[in-house]
Amino acid sequence: MLYLFYLLAAISIVSAVVVVASRSPITSVIALVVCFLSIAGHYILLNAQFLAMVHVIVYTGAILILMLFVIMLLNMNTLVEQRKPLAARLMAVVTGGMLFLVLLAATRQGLGQAPETYDAGIGLVRTIGTVLFRDYLVPFEVSSVLFLAAMAGAMMLAKKEGTDNLNLPPSSEPDERAA
Amino acid sequence: MSALILISVLGVVMLYLGIFSRKQVLAPVAILGLLAAIALFATGWHIPHHLLGSMLEFDGFATSFSIGMLVITALIFLFGPDYYERKEWHVAEQYALMLFSLVGGLLLASYSNLLMLFLAYEVLSIPLYVLAGGKKRSLRSNEASLKYFILGSFATAFMLMGITLLYSLTGSFDLGKLAEHMAAPGASGMVLNFGLFFVVVGLAFKVGAVPFHFWKPDVYQGSPTLVTTFMATVVMMGGIAGFFRFIDSTGMPDSLARSMVLLTLATLLVGNVSALRQTNFKRLMAYSSVSHSGFLLLALLTDSGLHEGHGSAVGGTLFYYTFTYSLATTGLFILFTIAKRANAGAEHNGIFKGLWHANPWLALCLLAMLLSLAGIPLTAGFIAKYQVFLLAIGAGWLKVMGFGVLMALLGIYYYIMVAREAFLPAEGSGAFVVSRLNWVVITLCTIGVLAFGLWPGWLV
Repeated sequence: MLYLFYLLAAISIVSAVVVVASRSPITSVIALVVCFLSIAGHYILLNAQFLAMVHVIVYTGAILILMLFVIMLLNMNTLVEQRKPLAARLMAVVTGGMLFLVLLAATRQGLGQAPETYDAGIGLVRTIGTVLFRDYLVPFEVSSVLFLAAMAGAMMLAKKEGTDNLNLPPSSEPDERAA
Repeated sequence: MSALILISVLGVVMLYLGIFSRKQVLAPVAILGLLAAIALFATGWHIPHHLLGSMLEFDGFATSFSIGMLVITALIFLFGPDYYERKEWHVAEQYALMLFSLVGGLLLASYSNLLMLFLAYEVLSIPLYVLAGGKKRSLRSNEASLKYFILGSFATAFMLMGITLLYSLTGSFDLGKLAEHMAAPGASGMVLNFGLFFVVVGLAFKVGAVPFHFWKPDVYQGSPTLVTTFMATVVMMGGIAGFFRFIDSTGMPDSLARSMVLLTLATLLVGNVSALRQTNFKRLMAYSSVSHSGFLLLALLTDSGLHEGHGSAVGGTLFYYTFTYSLATTGLFILFTIAKRANAGAEHNGIFKGLWHANPWLALCLLAMLLSLAGIPLTAGFIAKYQVFLLAIGAGWLKVMGFGVLMALLGIYYYIMVAREAFLPAEGSGAFVVSRLNWVVITLCTIGVLAFGLWPGWLV
């Protein structure tokens, strides 16, 4: 188990470095997929099956594929040499360094302590299902109304309005297309 | 809960009816469903509180607000067949989205859990973002939709942050637990204050209290008039109901109550003073709704932690105020649409010119509803404002109340200016065409405003 953890950690770190260092956007995204998959592996090691599955489905499955589509549609797969002005690069280094400092300060105290004990079954699908469908059934159902409304709304906005009603009398609304 | 399920299913039924493109049946089916929901609420046929995981509570306050919202929605839908007469596409979706939004409003009136507050807020808002952009070819409508969406998302994010902070204190989303935590000695702290404040920011955005009111005129102006009516009435009722439930069950620490006083004063001032200079009727109504939310906030304030023990009086006043305000607003927007059609789509206040000569009864209706919004005696608006001021006196907010009275007097001016237009001679404008159904709705709204003004006991 411990060796598995080291293996996954090494994969995560190497692929994360590749994401940042690679010049081709496609390579970056593929490396990000690998990174996310290895993080899902960490979740499984921590006994959080549900989180691991959601992570794979939502991040690796949906979001990264979306990013790949965007890269392909924008035709960004050629190597683009980007020259940023010196000031911008300096600012990036300063802000990144500050974030690193904050993260270091936040984790520094936690390193020496033993982790708190917790219920090992808390991340299992069965536990989450029980909580979701017993304590939080009403919010669950209400969120389905929310998604339905969002879906119907997206459909209404995206669907083309027909053009076969041109022979109707002109509407009384002011024609603001000219504006 | 059964009524909520009914309304949600009704929305799905609307979507299915849209397939057959028979838009004549849409409004009747929707109104029948709404009437059934009113009956369900009136008979009190509910699933008990504890079976819902203590998420919703249908007490007297929730029931009256829910019935009020259902009645107003039914009135708006009665206006629907006429409004959508020339529109061929997506009519069913518009009805369905309004029904889904109504579900959010009903939930806001009955939540007893912060998680439900967030969901209700979103169910109320998301259909509105789409509905505001209902006129796809109109740039103003697009602007309204985008503006509302972006600002609304910010408000939601604030509220979510607040809920997270409150959760970190109690480890529970339950409002009762939160109240217990706050009642415990030594409870006040930065996290609590910020948590409450962020939730209040989210709610204040929805009712358009002043630092968070900038979306209102633009969105009201750009949205299709029917949607504007829905926003000004049902959404306002839902927002105020949600606000009251939050403040009534948690109470307010002194520091937050003081900032709420500032919010109220600013809302009253900006709403009324900006309305004075508006020439576009929809923008005028937007600022008028800002000023009305100022009066409603004044009533809410008296329920804060400083003054214990008259939550139900405040709830009753809020219901009376919002319901009669919604009645008058619905009637006015229908009259506005009629006048707008008669004037080739113009939206300035002058479009009401000649109404008295063309149709004396409608001019009188317009006058009665405007006077009710202004708060002239014998109308419901007067009783509503009177009750708010009584509450403020009872709570000892004398200076704030004096300021409110001053602002109410200022408000009379711009309502009278609109009413004056209706009695001026016409300027060669087109005819006011009133369908029978619209006439009935306007008359109903007027009679409601006058009757509840003369016999307020019917509603409280």
